Amino acid sequence: MNSKKEEENVVIETASRIMIPFIQLFALYVITHGALGPGGGFQGGVVFASSYFLYIVVFNIIEGKKRLPESVYTTLSSTGLCIYAGVGLLSIILSFGMAQYLNYGFIPFTSHFEKNRSLGIDLVEIGVGITVMAVMVSIFFDLAGKEKKDKGE
Amino acid sequence: MKGHKAITLILMILLCGVLVYVAEDIPDFGDPKAPAIKYVKLFHLEAGASENALNQGRIPETISIALKERKFPLPSRAEKTPGAENDWDVFIPKEEAYYPKEEKFYRIKKEGERLHLYRYAFVVRWIEKGFKETGAPNMVTHGLADYRGYDTLGETVVIFTAGVSVILLLRRRSRL
Repeated sequence: MNSKKEEENVVIETASRIMIPFIQLFALYVITHGALGPGGGFQGGVVFASSYFLYIVVFNIIEGKKRLPESVYTTLSSTGLCIYAGVGLLSIILSFGMAQYLNYGFIPFTSHFEKNRSLGIDLVEIGVGITVMAVMVSIFFDLAGKEKKDKGE
Repeated sequence: MKGHKAITLILMILLCGVLVYVAEDIPDFGDPKAPAIKYVKLFHLEAGASENALNQGRIPETISIALKERKFPLPSRAEKTPGAENDWDVFIPKEEAYYPKEEKFYRIKKEGERLHLYRYAFVVRWIEKGFKETGAPNMVTHGLADYRGYDTLGETVVIFTAGVSVILLLRRRSRL
């Protein structure tokens, strides 16, 4: 236990504490500006997950699991997919069966057909981003940590 | 066992040889000076008197017949390409198979005494109408999330399935 305290490095900890919020902010920027500039759900999700990787690498895996518990990231990985499929289904429900699946123009966010479509694209990108982030974190935890070691400490 | 190894070695060498041979034939991609593929050439006709008809916006008989023989969608009207001599855009009418709206479909160009008929590539429509139809300025995104929404939904499902299978394989509480 004491040896772990000695391993902690002040420089790396402080640097990563400052870096992580900016990485997350950049990830949210990439996701929300997917329709305007380069970027999108897949890229933003991976960038967001990488901020968690940095946290887990600098601090240890137990601290990381306290920040993002297993129940949360397992639920999030399916939530994003449900958002995507739900937006597609919403376009059928709100147009009373007139529109096709995933035809976002018929969801009445605004009165403009084209603006509805771009807003639908944004929602879908958010769903993709959540799924990619959660799945990346889930795979990382499964590869990095063994259950028995965690319980032993 | 030794025979197996020898056969495997020979097959490996053959495979490497084939790969090297194939790699020799691959053309140089990514040439920045290469022109963009905006249209595909279909056929050419004798010009005759059809230039006047095209300038008035009508489609000459000869072109309609030639297109009908080759089972292409029939054109409805012609329009001069802005800023070009002897160059026309040809539209197909509404309710044509797979095209509910009126679409810019063919390009006719006069070179000497011949009329060359081209068909516009899908890229042209994508660039010209993508922003108007979807409201997303990024060309990649409106393709990814709108025109090919089903495809992206499938990709997301694939990523989700990868996560679930990693959970199933690595997070075993009891040994099988």
